[in-house]
Amino acid sequence: MDFQGIYDRLRAIEAPGLEGCDEPRPANAETKDKGRGGDPFCLVTPALLPAFLEVCRDDPHLSFEMAADMTATDPGKDEEHLWVNVQLLSVSKKHRLAVKALLPKASPVLPTTSGVYRTNQWHERECGEMFGITFEGHPDPRNILLPDDWVGAPLRKDYEFPREYHGISCE
Amino acid sequence: METQEHTATIAESGESRVLESGEREYMLDVRTQDMELNMGPQHPATHGVMRILVRADGELITGAQPHLGYLHRCAEKIGENVEWLMYLPYTDRYDYLAAMNNNLGYSMAVEALMGIEIPRRAMMIRTICAELNRIGSHLIAFGTYGLDLGAFTPFLYMFREREWMMALFEKICGARLTYSYIRIGGVFNDAPPGWLSEVERFCDTFEEKWKEYCDLLMVNQIFVKRTADIGVISPEMALDFGLTGPMLRGSGVDWDLRRDMPYELYEEIHADGAFDVPLGTGERGTVGDCWDRVYVRVQEMMESIKIVRWCLGAIEPGEVIADIPKTLRVPPGEAYVGIENPRGELGHYVVSDGGKVAVRVRVRGPSFVNLAVLEELMPGALVADSIAIIGSTDIVVGETDR
Amino acid sequence: MGFLEKQFQENVLTTKVDWLLNWCRLSSIWPMTFGLACCAIEMMAVGCAHHDIDRFGAGAFRASPRQADLMIVAGTVNFKMAERIKRLYDQMPAPKYVIAMGACATGGGPYYKYGYTVVKGVDRVIPVDVYIAGCPPRPEALLEGLMKLQEKIQTSSVIRKPARTA
Repeated sequence: MDFQGIYDRLRAIEAPGLEGCDEPRPANAETKDKGRGGDPFCLVTPALLPAFLEVCRDDPHLSFEMAADMTATDPGKDEEHLWVNVQLLSVSKKHRLAVKALLPKASPVLPTTSGVYRTNQWHERECGEMFGITFEGHPDPRNILLPDDWVGAPLRKDYEFPREYHGISCE
Repeated sequence: METQEHTATIAESGESRVLESGEREYMLDVRTQDMELNMGPQHPATHGVMRILVRADGELITGAQPHLGYLHRCAEKIGENVEWLMYLPYTDRYDYLAAMNNNLGYSMAVEALMGIEIPRRAMMIRTICAELNRIGSHLIAFGTYGLDLGAFTPFLYMFREREWMMALFEKICGARLTYSYIRIGGVFNDAPPGWLSEVERFCDTFEEKWKEYCDLLMVNQIFVKRTADIGVISPEMALDFGLTGPMLRGSGVDWDLRRDMPYELYEEIHADGAFDVPLGTGERGTVGDCWDRVYVRVQEMMESIKIVRWCLGAIEPGEVIADIPKTLRVPPGEAYVGIENPRGELGHYVVSDGGKVAVRVRVRGPSFVNLAVLEELMPGALVADSIAIIGSTDIVVGETDR
Repeated sequence: MGFLEKQFQENVLTTKVDWLLNWCRLSSIWPMTFGLACCAIEMMAVGCAHHDIDRFGAGAFRASPRQADLMIVAGTVNFKMAERIKRLYDQMPAPKYVIAMGACATGGGPYYKYGYTVVKGVDRVIPVDVYIAGCPPRPEALLEGLMKLQEKIQTSSVIRKPARTA
């Protein structure tokens, strides 16, 4: 199914939290391969993201068995929102879907999606430490890549590089 | 919590585990207590610097917790700070065994945003390089797996073939390990004269040697006993954990991005019937055990040879790089491109605001995702089997930590 | 050997204590299997048949720091790992030597500027004897580094000179 088909299906079954979609960009329409997740994405209410993913997984026409990726993006210093991006992949139907949720930077809180896709547990731990997002109900919310006592969220645009860590100078 | 209950039931009933055949394997009648054991970060079997906190009750593992981050090199932050083309060398360094594939993934993601058309000869050379690199990567995976299980000789043999492969890459781009050869818009330069015929010679030799390796390790009784029926991943579990690549195909799930969501020339190659997708069949044990995963890799090397041969037969002279400016300005937008790395789906999620520098470069490393399954796979195994399980996941720590 | 030479019968070789000890040390440097990143693959290549580090007596890669003389820091060191490297170094018995292999271990390499967790050179954590340039260095470069280390060992002395009094 192409993006429009998936989006129509999501509309038809009234997927929870679906806010809208981004138009497919014409810039690379000719050379676009089928394998590419590409530009169009679905916009979802953050609080309803787990419910939305569950619908995507269980619907027989969509059947996204796998979450290929989950990450966050800080689009800029002046932006008010962080993006949370989930890339879904259906092995049986051979299609992909990009899902995006906008989180306010002031209070980035999101219910965990690790109950829907187990693979998101580690992705969420990474998002948590890198962007300072809190995942409610996460079974294991420790840092995964950074040391436990790390200060700051490195992938935020306003992050300041450390000057020293445990006596090792970074200058 | 789960593991504690698990241990409690074992202690009460005095038995250790139920085997696949339905038999019960009894533990010695001694009282044991949980012991926490640190594997790594400096450990020869963890394939890099990774720590696994293993909780063991005697010889039985009751819990495992991988600790990552000992090689976190901030690749994603760097992607947001350097220009598009300058990021290419960093892609070499997250999965350093398959640098060509990483170059390809990143280049394709940027090309998807820019909408560049790649010359056909460039795509041919890209495919040859990516597949040769896949062979080299699987050779290391296979060789070091033998090393983990106590077979030293195959390791030396595999490096012999790998050295040849690296010499081929050295001839085409000058580097042995970190190539930066596949550029945005094509490849850096054309193949030097005589290179393609040497690749053909490599293919001929490799086919012979491949049979030797199979005889040497895959059907070796000691190897089979150490790997068959160990670390079984069911297809449902594989999908839930988002496993890709040989880890997924070893469990019998028929999924290969090269065939199912083809990019570059793979659609054409597959239409010609030039390659198949090997799957785990449970030939020596259960579907999805360590042996299956390793055998999928071994067979994939042969499929790669077939793809390389197809390209060698179809390659024609022509341009090798599209006309792109030195300072790239990428149109605004976002793209996620997944390609089939030797370890699974390597995804690049790139966001551009139209400037010289990316807003976000996200790397979905297959090793990172594939590693998460250890938490589920290790409990119930014996301590000695843990080495077999870790080795069969074939992780590269540069990519788990990025 | 000056005074001692030709004082004994045949089949007796005379030498200096320093030279003998140094020769023993430099001819069987046992490195630790300690691959960190990309450079570790080149280190493995050095250990294999094509380049064969065994020719220099340094082929016995030991998994335990307690059996090793040489630590080849092959790859990027970050803060999380730096503490462990320090501990591993402390566990090695003296005399111990360190080779910083590659640009990352030497000075942060390509991760110098934006790598927020990267230690800018392993010499901020442990003392280094030989630095090898390259990203990653070729196997020949590692062998050259090993020979440089052997030259350095040859110049060391076990006899302590008496402390100078002011």
